[in-house]
Amino acid sequence: MLLELNNIFKWVTQGGSRIFLLKDINLQVEEGEFISIMGPSGSGKSTLLNVIGMLDNFQEGEYKFLDESVHSMKEKNRSKLYKEYIGFVFQAYHLIDELTVYENIETPLLYKNVKSSERKALVADMLDRFNIVGKKDLFPSQLSGGQQQLVGVARALIAKPKLILADEPTGNLNSKQSEEIMQLFKELNQAGVTIIQATHSETNAAYGSRTLHLLDGGRNHI
Amino acid sequence: MIQNHIKISLRNLWKNKLLSTLNLLGLSIGIGSVLTLAFSVYAYYNADSNIEGQENIFYLKTVTTGGDTYKSTPYPLLNEIVKASPEVIAATHMQGWGQPWLKYGETEFQESSNYVDPDFFKIFSLPFKYGNPETALEKKYSIVLFHKISQKIFGEKNPLGETIKLNDSINLTVTGVIGDLSPYSAFRLGVLMPTKLLEDYPTFIARADWSDSFTVNFFKLKPTTDIARFESQVTALAKKNYSDPSTLSEIKLMPFSGMRSDSLPVIDTIISGSIAASVFVLLIVLINLLNLNTSTMYRRTKDIAVRKILGGNKKSIIIQFCIENGILVFASISISALLFLGFLLPKLNGIYGADFGSISFTVTNDYPVILFAIGLGLFVTLVVGILPTLRFISAPISTGIKGRIDTIKSNFLVRNSFIVLQFTIAILFICVAIILNSQIGYMKNAPLGFNKENVIVGNIDLEYKNKETATLKFNDLLNKLNADPYVKDFAVSDAIPSNYDFNYNQVYDPETDREVRTRFANTDEGYLKTLRIPLVMGRDFDEKLDSADDHPVIINRTTMKALGWNSIEGKRLKGKGSVTSGNPVVGVMEDFHYQDMQNAVEPLVHFYSNKNSLASNRFLSVRFAEGHQKSIEKLIANGFSNIDSRRKYRQENLTDKVSAQYRLIEGMLKTVNVVALLTIFISCLGMFGLISFMAKRRVKEIGIRKVLGAGVLKLIVMLSKDYIILVGIAALIAFPIAWYIMDAWLRDFAYRISLQWWMFVLSGFFALLITAFTVGIQAVKSARANPVKSLKTE
Repeated sequence: MLLELNNIFKWVTQGGSRIFLLKDINLQVEEGEFISIMGPSGSGKSTLLNVIGMLDNFQEGEYKFLDESVHSMKEKNRSKLYKEYIGFVFQAYHLIDELTVYENIETPLLYKNVKSSERKALVADMLDRFNIVGKKDLFPSQLSGGQQQLVGVARALIAKPKLILADEPTGNLNSKQSEEIMQLFKELNQAGVTIIQATHSETNAAYGSRTLHLLDGGRNHI
Repeated sequence: MIQNHIKISLRNLWKNKLLSTLNLLGLSIGIGSVLTLAFSVYAYYNADSNIEGQENIFYLKTVTTGGDTYKSTPYPLLNEIVKASPEVIAATHMQGWGQPWLKYGETEFQESSNYVDPDFFKIFSLPFKYGNPETALEKKYSIVLFHKISQKIFGEKNPLGETIKLNDSINLTVTGVIGDLSPYSAFRLGVLMPTKLLEDYPTFIARADWSDSFTVNFFKLKPTTDIARFESQVTALAKKNYSDPSTLSEIKLMPFSGMRSDSLPVIDTIISGSIAASVFVLLIVLINLLNLNTSTMYRRTKDIAVRKILGGNKKSIIIQFCIENGILVFASISISALLFLGFLLPKLNGIYGADFGSISFTVTNDYPVILFAIGLGLFVTLVVGILPTLRFISAPISTGIKGRIDTIKSNFLVRNSFIVLQFTIAILFICVAIILNSQIGYMKNAPLGFNKENVIVGNIDLEYKNKETATLKFNDLLNKLNADPYVKDFAVSDAIPSNYDFNYNQVYDPETDREVRTRFANTDEGYLKTLRIPLVMGRDFDEKLDSADDHPVIINRTTMKALGWNSIEGKRLKGKGSVTSGNPVVGVMEDFHYQDMQNAVEPLVHFYSNKNSLASNRFLSVRFAEGHQKSIEKLIANGFSNIDSRRKYRQENLTDKVSAQYRLIEGMLKTVNVVALLTIFISCLGMFGLISFMAKRRVKEIGIRKVLGAGVLKLIVMLSKDYIILVGIAALIAFPIAWYIMDAWLRDFAYRISLQWWMFVLSGFFALLITAFTVGIQAVKSARANPVKSLKTE
């Protein structure tokens, strides 16, 4: 079992009444799964991904990641955990504008204090694997959306995470680019990486091994 | 990692070119001026740092019953004190005696010469280059030179044992060379000779009694000394021995460390002003950086969130920020160092050099200033690198990643108070500058009671080699002046406005015994005419009626008032303790400002002196017909060129002499002007950056408003209104502070302007104008942008 969510509630209080963002979410994810989360806008897909990615808190329920209780963990240990095991891919790519392709991919390794020679090898591998060696010295603004997302995925993978969380990874891409990215996810999944993606698109969801439907923050239907 | 940080920092700085340039500019100018001010303050406090144990060094200050204070006492007092007080470790006289000529080989020179006791070097540990301070002045016929004098005569060689001739008669042996003191030192010394030498002079012996105060006394006391008790002992000793103890109130023991500001109180103003100015400038620079950095943080919230997701911790993000700011700050410090050495320091020396001497920067001596600069740089870096980051760095990643932080409201308040603070300081300086300007203008243009235009003043105290021939030739010159049609009047005197000696005495009316303390000067019959000083009653001196032996006097109106006279009919004035029947008062002249306007017109008595006498007179003043200055100057200079004298004849315009009295205060004005401009300039730089940034954030809003039909003017008002209000608030805060400070400052002036409301309004208006201009440029640019474009970019 990679992670387990039991009765997760998350709400905000507005004008004295609670508005639920997540309501009684239960989810178990085994290693090697490829899960698609679907639902209309505002149904809480991103919030759920953030909770799974430990970027956001929740008010009630319990969350176990690799048999450790995330909900009772201190902030510091939690961030240690997600830095170690989780990679993120965003709809808006979120590359750092001031860094080149190479440096963007390298950044997570820098934060992990990986040695320079090792870093070079790993980044070179990654560039090679994604066929973007020729673009390594360009800045994000010089790339197309699809290429930027490739870099985003490469950056998420460089630290060898067990789990990739992708929030609408193809939302800003055209259909051809989107197909490439989804194909890439499929290959990654086959290589053993667990993937959870949030998506609007049935086509993309079909790449997954399991689909989770969210309805306005409400109980999930599996 | 560090490499990576630096690389990214440079890219970031490069990307925000406008912001970086504004910051670099503001920082360089700001730190440059802070360095300059700090250096002058440092130079001031460090000037006498080689004198050890200053806390135990004191000098004596006489306080008279009339309330006068001076640093001198009668000569014998010191020995009496040494005899009576076991607390004294070392003591020395210090006095000049005439202006002796020193001669080595054929070179003759006249330097600031002082006679001191051998203990001098026990009290003051001065940096000897050659010779032994313990014994340097033990022998009577010895002389100690300061390095710059030694260099002038002997070059770089060691002059110990060389012989220098004093006043063509006495041979002195060089026994020491002292490294030059800072121009800001309490001492202005050229050569030092033993006091024992003076004891051979009959003129000195005659004066060195208990009636004449002319010697300065320094003491080194045991640290345990009870100062108050010591003071009362000294006063008692003085009262016991003084020939006229009734005029003495007390003798005070003054700490040596306070001697400089005691003799020139304006130094305190300059020093505290410099410190205040540097703190303020620094504050403004800091606020700029903080405000601009905070603004860019909004754009960076996303960046920070991404980095956190990628595994960055708070520390590494703060380090990144500090490095970015550090590069900026230290680049600015390098620029400001160049600015300081190449421009500001020479400027500062230009302003104060004439009064205090030029200071220069040397790495070996002034390394604390470099350390200060580095420390300052680190401080600024840490403050502006850490403070703006803190609130953003703790924001939850999930909101940060969306690029919005809900702290805009609270930040708004902080930023606005910062702007108000900046402009308060800037307006304060503008107020000070305007008021200072008005006061100086007032002093320079106030009616002086005499006509300073078209008068040449020549210095005729030249040490003539042959007195008889000099007098003959001088009379020759006077005759020529008399004959010249373009010479309207001329006078010979021992004083001239701006140059009256501190020559005081008590006089009294023998009929009423009413006493007045007056100042004295000797003038001839041409003086009042030449300077166009009106007579109130009586007559002017007259060559035919008066002879110098009668000692007739002319008093000023203040003296007459002080004596309670209505007329001078048959009046005489007697000097205190004088045995003569007194001096006949022949006239009363109108009060005129014989010293600067900072001082009130005091009672003044002019004695009649003979025109022809070169011995007692110091000035020749000539009123010439307009347009003939050149020819008259030439005539006089020619007259003196064939009189043999040791000193060279010099002349200048009376207007220049009068203006020169205000040189120091004008120097202060210049500094204040620069600082005022600087503060407003740097503040506006910051505001400009802020507004460009805000306009960028509001680009969409402006676009929508335009589409909805808002006119350009309305938009400009909308964008600039807030800032104008802030500057208005700043003005309201600054006015009372400026009023308070300047009102207190003006009290030091006997003749002063009254503070007017327009001075404050003007400074506020000036600040508003500059702000409106700064804000306006950006507002117009944003308001006129094509809405289609701006809306598309969103």
